[in-house]
Amino acid sequence: MSEPILQMKNINKKFGSVIALKDVNLDVYPGEIRGLIGENGSGKSTISSIAAGMQKATSGDMYFKGDKWQPSSMIDALKGGIGMIVQESGTIAGVTVAENIFLGEINQFKNKLGIINRKLLNEKATEAMRNIGVEDITGDMPIAALDFQTRKLVEIAKVVLKNPDILVIDETSTALSHDGRSIMYRLMKKLRDEGKAIIFISHDLEEIMEACDTLTVLRDGNLIRTFTKDEFDADAIRTSMIGRELQGDYYRSDFTPSYMDEVAMELTDVNLGEELRNINLTLHKGEIVGVGGLSGCGMHALGKVMFGAAKPESGKVALGNGKKIDNPHTAVKNKIGYVSKDRDVESLVLSASIKDNISVGGMDEYALGGWLVTSKRESEYVQNQIDTLSIKCSSANQLTSQLSGGNKQKVVFGKWIGCGSEILILDCPTRGVDIGVKQAMYQLMMKLKSEGKAILMISEELPELIGMSDRIFIMKNGEITHEFERNAELTDANIIGYMI
Amino acid sequence: MKQTTFNRNKIGQLMVTILPFVALIVLFALFVGVVSMKGYRLDMYLQIVFNEGVVLAVVATGAIFIYTLGTFDISLGAATLFAATMGVLAYNATENMALMILAIFASGIICSLLNSVLASVFHIPAFVTTVAMMSVLTAVASQIITTKGGALGGISIPSVIVKDMDNPGFKIILLAVFFLVCFFTFNLTKAGRRQKFIGGNPVCAALTGIQFNKYTILAFTIAGIGVGLGAFLTLVYTPSVTTTTASSIGMNIFIAIVFGGMPISGGARSKIYASLVGGFSFMLLNDILELVIDSSAAYGITQLISAVFFLAVVYVTSMNYRTQMLPR
Ligand SMILES: Nc1ncnc2c1ncn2[C@@H]1O[C@H](COP(=O)(O)OP(=O)(O)OP(=O)(O)O)[C@@H](O)[C@H]1O
Ligand SMILES: [Mg+2]
Repeated sequence: MSEPILQMKNINKKFGSVIALKDVNLDVYPGEIRGLIGENGSGKSTISSIAAGMQKATSGDMYFKGDKWQPSSMIDALKGGIGMIVQESGTIAGVTVAENIFLGEINQFKNKLGIINRKLLNEKATEAMRNIGVEDITGDMPIAALDFQTRKLVEIAKVVLKNPDILVIDETSTALSHDGRSIMYRLMKKLRDEGKAIIFISHDLEEIMEACDTLTVLRDGNLIRTFTKDEFDADAIRTSMIGRELQGDYYRSDFTPSYMDEVAMELTDVNLGEELRNINLTLHKGEIVGVGGLSGCGMHALGKVMFGAAKPESGKVALGNGKKIDNPHTAVKNKIGYVSKDRDVESLVLSASIKDNISVGGMDEYALGGWLVTSKRESEYVQNQIDTLSIKCSSANQLTSQLSGGNKQKVVFGKWIGCGSEILILDCPTRGVDIGVKQAMYQLMMKLKSEGKAILMISEELPELIGMSDRIFIMKNGEITHEFERNAELTDANIIGYMI
Repeated sequence: MKQTTFNRNKIGQLMVTILPFVALIVLFALFVGVVSMKGYRLDMYLQIVFNEGVVLAVVATGAIFIYTLGTFDISLGAATLFAATMGVLAYNATENMALMILAIFASGIICSLLNSVLASVFHIPAFVTTVAMMSVLTAVASQIITTKGGALGGISIPSVIVKDMDNPGFKIILLAVFFLVCFFTFNLTKAGRRQKFIGGNPVCAALTGIQFNKYTILAFTIAGIGVGLGAFLTLVYTPSVTTTTASSIGMNIFIAIVFGGMPISGGARSKIYASLVGGFSFMLLNDILELVIDSSAAYGITQLISAVFFLAVVYVTSMNYRTQMLPR
């Protein structure tokens, strides 16, 4: 075996009293795709962001290409040869694709008079997108007009352009749909074949076993074990991840669709630009409806429209009793909850505590007389959600910005689960969540279903849609192309055909 | 998993929380020192600080609701001037105290409400309307004062009618009642909590079903009550109104509440007591500087020094939160 390109020795990282990493030793070799897996808060983002210069270890040494590695910032690290795609959105909204890709380097496009050559800038950016296999995005497009997946691809293009020796991809696949993922996998393989190394973080065991050459498991800040490809075994990996065997059902165990007759929500002939065309959909009480498709198929817009956060140009969005839903306030008043896909921007107040974020959804539940918020009732309410979803935090007063990605997602989930929502619109609810908690979320969804709540789950993950839904709608180009009923024979392959 | 040990972050947060109180105490001690060094009468000077501080604190307390939303209102000083002017007009026309008070509060609330209603009707940020409102209110009030006041340069009500109220006890009670009501609303009601949530992330707040316009209007209404109270207390202290009355309040409030520990961007960490602590700190600092510099140039230098202080405070308070924010 060749020499490691990156060596991390006895890395420790503390955040006050929280120990995020304990004596972690990690060697990464050129020409490998190294997987990192572990429960939420196990230290995956922390260890890789230390390598990528985003933060500094409390103690320990790093060597990169034989030399001591002490990047002072992400930009510094990227120049030196380690680039990272972060877990949440890392693009800037107000500007174009090109300006994002060449952020901080615009000067190279200035002529003698100091005027930016926009044409060249845009061309170079378009080329950078082509370079990673994205054909339909050009440099002049404003970031704000792009969906989450495309913004993620812009970030990838930006980092890859610098030709790093090590590319870190932190929990990105769940932000991508089928097509986006293929682009990413292809890129990873290409880089590996060029002798580069990739550190790939994911909670999807199947995906990570498929994509990676070696796999390192972290648990509570400890490096538990590194598996080589021939040692890959789902059960063994899972056990080392959570330190015990996963008990009980993962997805639901029955295979017959079931729901009550009563309609919870109904969409009739809904149109919204390119995103939604003639959508007709009925959601029943006690039903889990899954919605899947490629990025840009309109499924995320569907969630927004059902919550009243986007106004359809024509058609009707209404509750079973005929009440129209045309703004989020009405939606919430009528006990509809909505988990957005763009977590940090739309679903959380990062500068506020876990308590503030969870409690705001449930104030109608626990406030005395519907308006008086007393700290005892609030704390109880919040603690209940923290326990149910085992949110890993130092206290309910911890700022959400300090939580690991998956734990942030749990906060958002907790905000809507606790407050007695009758209808839940969940856009990628399990994004970035580890398997143990995913299982808990699925069980919670089943419990809600049995209580007669209606759930619409939009997801990029087909196994999850197949595993949980009573009915699955597949969308393409803003239209519903097919409807599946729950059955035991349904597989990814049956579905994908209707997506592409 | 519960961790009770202090970490650096918590200590930092604690520092930011107590710093404003420490500053208030230090400034107070300094003020006492300076006044006695100069050989002035301490009780008289304390009264001056108190009378100015109380107006600032009252208006600032209402204004906290606006700042919490992540916006600001620069017209508060002009609104105070306008409300006081209307109060004088009302009294002089009717010789009725109750009508005067009614006029003051009505104009305070209407000015403030107008800001938020215009902002929501025209879909522009509220602070934009407040800039326009500031000019309009100042112009209207000045016009009235100069036409009615003539050679005197101001308009006034007879001082006898407010003389009984011009005592610290009465003012403290007014301030305390208003502050407590605001404190309660801010911290213990759904409305207050939602205000903070909007300030933290308006997009997320909207997707939680919180109506931005409703809470903006509520915030401005409360601020309007503060303006009314401030205008009333101004009249009680000095029964005449000139074109410069309360003119610096709009800016000073901004500085004062940041002094008091209010995050400049509003949101979840907003603190209502910042208005009290900051209001009085600001006045103490202001008067210390005036005493020490003691010349006609004092005003400019005072402003300059407060500005430097202001920047320092903003830097220290935000530093603690800038660190360790990772896009994870
Ligand atoms: N700024 C911070 N302040 C306090 N604790 C922090 C901070 N950043 C991270 N942590 C803690 O460090 C631990 C490791 O976090 P990290 O983000 O590395 O987890 P992760 O493995 O990436 O999890 P996920 O799968 O949820 O993304 C967590 O317990 C987290 O709460
Ligand atoms: Mg992470």
